[in-house]
Amino acid sequence: MIVQLEEITKVYTLGGETVRALDGVSLNIDRGEFVAIMGPSGSGKSTMMHILGCLDVPTDGSYLLDGLEVAEMDDVDLARIRNRKIGFVFQSFNLLARTTAVENVELPMLYSRCEDRRERAEWALERVGLGDRLDHTPSQLSGGQQQRVAIARALVNNAPIMMADEPTGNLASIQSEEIMQIFQELNDEGKTVIMVTHEPDIAEHAKRIIRVRDGRVVADETVQRRVLASEVLRRMRAEGAAQ
Amino acid sequence: MKLNTFEPIENEILPPASLFGPGPAEEEEWNPDDSSGGMSFVDSLRVAWRGLTNNKMRTGLTMLGIIIGVAAVIAMVSMGQGASQSVAKSINSLGTNLLTVTSGNNRIRGVDNGGSKLSLQDAAAIGSRFKSTITAVAPEARGSAQVKMGNEDANTQIMGTSPSYSQVDNAPVTSGRFITDQDVSGRSKVAVVGTTVVQNLLGDATLNPIGKTIAINRIPFNIIGVLKSRGAGAFGQDQDDVVIIPVTTALRRVFNRTNLSSIDVEATSPAAMDLATEQISDLLRQQHHLLPPFPDNDDFTVRSQASILQASQSVTGTLTALLAGVAIVSLVVGGIGVMNIMLVSVTERTREIGLRKAVGATSGDVLMQFLMESLAMALMGGAIGILAGIGGSAIVAMKMGWAPVVQPMIVLLAALVSGGIGVVFGIYPAAKAANQNPIEALRYE
Repeated sequence: MIVQLEEITKVYTLGGETVRALDGVSLNIDRGEFVAIMGPSGSGKSTMMHILGCLDVPTDGSYLLDGLEVAEMDDVDLARIRNRKIGFVFQSFNLLARTTAVENVELPMLYSRCEDRRERAEWALERVGLGDRLDHTPSQLSGGQQQRVAIARALVNNAPIMMADEPTGNLASIQSEEIMQIFQELNDEGKTVIMVTHEPDIAEHAKRIIRVRDGRVVADETVQRRVLASEVLRRMRAEGAAQ
Repeated sequence: MKLNTFEPIENEILPPASLFGPGPAEEEEWNPDDSSGGMSFVDSLRVAWRGLTNNKMRTGLTMLGIIIGVAAVIAMVSMGQGASQSVAKSINSLGTNLLTVTSGNNRIRGVDNGGSKLSLQDAAAIGSRFKSTITAVAPEARGSAQVKMGNEDANTQIMGTSPSYSQVDNAPVTSGRFITDQDVSGRSKVAVVGTTVVQNLLGDATLNPIGKTIAINRIPFNIIGVLKSRGAGAFGQDQDDVVIIPVTTALRRVFNRTNLSSIDVEATSPAAMDLATEQISDLLRQQHHLLPPFPDNDDFTVRSQASILQASQSVTGTLTALLAGVAIVSLVVGGIGVMNIMLVSVTERTREIGLRKAVGATSGDVLMQFLMESLAMALMGGAIGILAGIGGSAIVAMKMGWAPVVQPMIVLLAALVSGGIGVVFGIYPAAKAANQNPIEALRYE
């Protein structure tokens, strides 16, 4: 069990008003799962993502990440956890401008003092199919390519969990499909993928969908007819060739 | 579907990671006591350098504030030192045994209180007694007058004095002779001229004027000698723009008065100066029939070169402190500039801060990154400023004929101060960056 949430509560004070963003969420995620978290805006799915990603700590409850209690960690340990256990992929890529793909991928390793950064960054970029774009800056890359650089950055520290927050929100459908293909491959290799999305057809790529509403988990189901990105891509390319 | 965004991936199913060379090692075991992690010093330097070079124009302009401040401090202090050393040197060149008696009591009234009281008899009395403490006395009657030779004329300083002036005031002749006791007692119309006067009247300082006639206030004088060139004096006056004539001739024929401007006295040794001062004062009080209390009722002042030196040092010291103060203000303004730009930079890079925190930067890492930037900016500005300050003061020193004085202490101080500015004015923006909440920072538009 890599993620164990137990009765997680998160309360904010917004302009004097208390908001219960999460209201007693309990949830287990196994190693090697591919989970999509869905819910309307304001449902608490972002808060859940932030707590799962150790960017925020719960007001109440227990969160065991890979056996470590996160709820009581201080800032320095949270930073280390994010560095070693979690790779983030964001909707807006969040690459450093005027910085090459390789240097962007090296970024997490800056904070873990590891050796052979360049080699590992190159490996990660090759892994996402950008071995020939190492020294391109974000402005020289398409949106899909930028998101692949971001995935390489999330891979490079070999963290067991990949967290994606609307990873395809800014991408055209074929590029979205390519990103999902990479996620599915990484998941096949054993990486745990947790993804927040509001697009049902993207969520169908996961193995399990958790629906959140008003700070509670309202549904937790296994995906019956899982979409395989490789097949979608094959079909898209065939259609493209036919036209 | 947009076909033009289509990007084929060569292998539809990517080969496993292990086929691509090294790759990361196995997932690391979590060790709660592991204190590694955090950025290394070299890395934070590199990150800071990237931050600065990403916006060269802005970095350069911000540094300019520090550069100007540091250069100004170095230049002001160095030039002040150079000026005061140069003044001290020329005052010392007059001889450290020199006492100057002037009329008026500057303790009470500051300056000459109407009409000089020093007479030739005073000078003679000082010279005839106190042989153990005083070696020579030179009365001085100064004034400016028009001098004329042929068709050329000029305004110059007339110095009526006695033969001992040459010794007391260190004014030897290079050709001809100085005035003699016979010239003084006979009120001879003879003159020793400085090189500037020769230059002004003959058009060439190297020409020999001896034997020629020079008219001082239309009275003809015979030129008997040329003074050795002494250059600029302690207060910038031209010491070669002078005509020396017998003091008796000056008083009776040229200025038509009886009072001396001052009396220069040479003591036997620096140690004898205090006693000589006492003796001269006592004598003059008798001569002038003064009543106590002394020194309040004195109508003269005896000054040593040391006291003149001290006064001039305190003037240049005050001036240097004033200029350095102005320069330090500009340095502080430069520091505020650094803070301003760092605050802008932190705001601009909010998302970057959020991202860095998300991938594992601690607040300390972010603090270091921004502090390094302001520190590097201030230190680079300081280094350039030090070079500019040294260069600037060297140029000024060369033009003014001073020895350039750059003290290693002030350079070290400037380096420390600019580093301090980097830290002091950088800590607030850096702390602001470090305290960003990663979630809000990532959402920042």
